[in-house]
Amino acid sequence: METTELALFTRGVRDAAASATGAELDAALGDLGWHDALAADDRAAVSVLFECQGAANVTSSALDRVLGGALGLAADPRSAPVVLPALGEVAPPGAVSGGHLLVRGLALGAVTSHPHAVVVAPAGNGDYEAVAVPLSALTVRAVDGLDPELGLHEVSGDVQTAAGPSLGRLDWEGAVALGQLALGYELLGAGRTMLELARQHALDRVQFGRPIGSFQAVRHRLAESLVALEAAAALLDAAWEDPATYAAMAKSFTGRQVRVAARHCQQVLAGIGFTTEHPFHRFLRRTIVLDQLLGAGTALTRRLGADVLATGSLPPAFAL
Amino acid sequence: MELDDYKIAVDAWLDAEADALAPEYEGIGTLGQQLSQLNKVRRLTYDADWARLGWPERVGGLGGSNLLRAYLGEALTARDLVEAGLYSMPEFLVPTMLGHAPPALAAEMVPRVLRGDETWCQGFSEPGTGSNLAALTCRATPTDGGWEVSGQKVWTSLAQFAQRCVLLTRTGPPESAHRGITAFFVDMDSPGISVRPIETMHGVEEFCEVFFDGVVVPEDRLLGEVDHGWSIAMDLLPYERSTALWQRAAYLQRRLDQLVRAAPAGRLDEFDVGAVTELLWAFRARSRATQHRLAAGEHLGAETSVDKVLIASAEQAIFDLVADALARDVVLGDDAASGLWRAEYMYAQAATIYGGSAEIQRNVIARRVLELGDDR
Repeated sequence: METTELALFTRGVRDAAASATGAELDAALGDLGWHDALAADDRAAVSVLFECQGAANVTSSALDRVLGGALGLAADPRSAPVVLPALGEVAPPGAVSGGHLLVRGLALGAVTSHPHAVVVAPAGNGDYEAVAVPLSALTVRAVDGLDPELGLHEVSGDVQTAAGPSLGRLDWEGAVALGQLALGYELLGAGRTMLELARQHALDRVQFGRPIGSFQAVRHRLAESLVALEAAAALLDAAWEDPATYAAMAKSFTGRQVRVAARHCQQVLAGIGFTTEHPFHRFLRRTIVLDQLLGAGTALTRRLGADVLATGSLPPAFAL
Repeated sequence: MELDDYKIAVDAWLDAEADALAPEYEGIGTLGQQLSQLNKVRRLTYDADWARLGWPERVGGLGGSNLLRAYLGEALTARDLVEAGLYSMPEFLVPTMLGHAPPALAAEMVPRVLRGDETWCQGFSEPGTGSNLAALTCRATPTDGGWEVSGQKVWTSLAQFAQRCVLLTRTGPPESAHRGITAFFVDMDSPGISVRPIETMHGVEEFCEVFFDGVVVPEDRLLGEVDHGWSIAMDLLPYERSTALWQRAAYLQRRLDQLVRAAPAGRLDEFDVGAVTELLWAFRARSRATQHRLAAGEHLGAETSVDKVLIASAEQAIFDLVADALARDVVLGDDAASGLWRAEYMYAQAATIYGGSAEIQRNVIARRVLELGDDR
């Protein structure tokens, strides 16, 4: 997108995310042409929307569209949702065994409003295939858990492979990489809001006759948070160069950085930030959950290290 | 010349001239050896025009984007041909000359440092003036045809080798703080200057105390205007936190790569390696964006403190892994390679101290980026 177009698009998406969530946000995104943008310029569509979504602590089915688009399925906003891997996992949620498709994964809130769900399973030789499984054949449990407002569902099942139409071979790893970038931006957005909440509190809250933001101990925690978030933002932006190489590390790094920022911000917000009367807790909850989707942060980092040690070589450097 | 063409041409030239460019010593070498090597590389790259690209023509350069010289520094440090810290000194002293020296002085002097004919130093810190730079007391008083300087500087890197010094002095009353500071370009062989090197804990006399006793500085060596030296210092610092750091990151990547290859099996934890790789790559992504902002003509400011905090964290994280995974070399090794790992581990401890301490960087971020207001 051109600079002006991008600015306009960004403003539209930010306004939508600030005023709608769930199905309403999906509808607003449709009106904004977000789905077309995803097909034409996935970098702009993903980075803008997911950072706004994280910053506003809202939900949408955009991750389904990102994964579906990358898998080569219809990018149509009404197409079936994609079942995510089980918590912490990168491997697809399906496994084919003896004519059965075993399913164990997670899904976003929109899963219950569609008659089918797309389940990806390994097909041997590093290939993957997708099956559109009727929702009625799956067990779907609405998760309250740590972050009830995220609307996550646990999906499981043992279905005949003939239960739904095979959607053919597809690029699961490519889809995961794009999904990891999306989650990275959502984490970043959550981090930026936590920092803004803590910053405003530091300016407003007076103790010992002065705003607590004048105390160096507080200022340094906020500075530390900004450094953490800017580092994550830089790696996410650079990761678009080659998502297959950099998306996983960008997502795990961002998760860790946002958790660092969250700890500092929680401390600055102190008592009020520990209550449900203050919005901070929503962002902390969202952060912890997102850090576990499409690969647990620590596991992705460990896998990167294992690759480096096994091959004796670091990832390609970012060229000027 | 475009960056992509420049990269290909520089890489090919560095390959072809590898023997001529190589250091004549193993391991860390003495500081004198490092400096001779640096000046040799500067001369060869300048005479072949590579080191002139990226600098303006009015100071002996051949024009072109700052990205060109950023790439040259990256390529030289990544090949271990120069010590990254020593190499990057002109990256912040030359922009100071470009912005504030009389044009004739800049045109005469800058080519000398770019070609490695001269070494320059930066006289900012004083015994009573570390983090609080605006409290400096080294005094300059008007005299016939110029100024007379008396006082002391400290932590002045390479002062014992330097021909020139970019010097900050007090010209206003003692309480004038940042409003009464004036900058000069001083010949280090002027009568009245004496230099005492200090040995660091990594065994190198990298910086010095410099004493000024009635040193006469001609009027035409004034940088900028009288009492406006603070803005010169403030303009310089973002350069110290941009191109210089891009080069340092290339060096850190080389060391991390060598660590991964040199560490005995099982001595490096997978998570630690992954985490430090992520951090260094994040820094390089950030630093690259900073280089491109500079190339686009943006004014760099307080946000470069983010770059500085990040690279210091990355450097210490990498060398913490070195000290652990290569403990045998670091603790017991008496060969050149072990000496280098040991010295660099020790040097990494200063990464959060020099060039504005970690605390000062966080103060800058809090006040000027997060706009948290006054700190008292």
